Amino acid sequence: MPNYEIMFIVNPNVAEEEIDKINGQIENIITSGGCKVEKIEKMGKRRLAYEVEKQREGYYVLFTTNANGDILKECERRLRVMDAIIKYITVRTDEEGRRLQKIKNYRQKRAARRGSGSRAGTGQSAEEAMQ
Amino acid sequence: MKSAKEKRPAGQKQYYRRKKVCKFCVERIDSINYKDVKLLSQFVPERAKIMPRRISGVCSPHQRQLNDAIKKARNIALLPFTTE
Repeated sequence: MPNYEIMFIVNPNVAEEEIDKINGQIENIITSGGCKVEKIEKMGKRRLAYEVEKQREGYYVLFTTNANGDILKECERRLRVMDAIIKYITVRTDEEGRRLQKIKNYRQKRAARRGSGSRAGTGQSAEEAMQ
Repeated sequence: MKSAKEKRPAGQKQYYRRKKVCKFCVERIDSINYKDVKLLSQFVPERAKIMPRRISGVCSPHQRQLNDAIKKARNIALLPFTTE
């Protein structure tokens, strides 16, 4: 199952409870579709790099989920409709995660090999080639 | 890059250029994430353009990842497209 991250920016003038309500709504969409929300991270208020909808600040929220395409589509539609949301982005993360796992495994194997007697040394070029 | 030891015509200064290395390879940074503004902003000079490889010395696989990350970060207003 692919993993996704949904990041969105809420209008900074909106109250904290309102943000929780929005989070609840999005979570509800995902869980009612039979998928899991792994993490909700409130990254807090920060300055935007450029002006969006006349705002220079925004409240960032990050969702990590294993939802499928249809559910994500619904989430995005909902986010677009909500007035308090200034911007959102959905990013697929599983391929990146797999790649990182692969590198990690490789490092571990190499470390194990090094531990079992062979000299520490110049495996770096091979490692760089793999990346 | 030309070797510094190469013979040059008389009168011309010999100067040595340090070999650039890829920051991500050297420091073993595996993931270039779009949320890591501190890391990414090292590669966007003040006009907010993406720093070319020929200047930063980043290797091409990492430059590609960096490009993607910067573009995602721009989309969600973590990095600017341009300065005002």
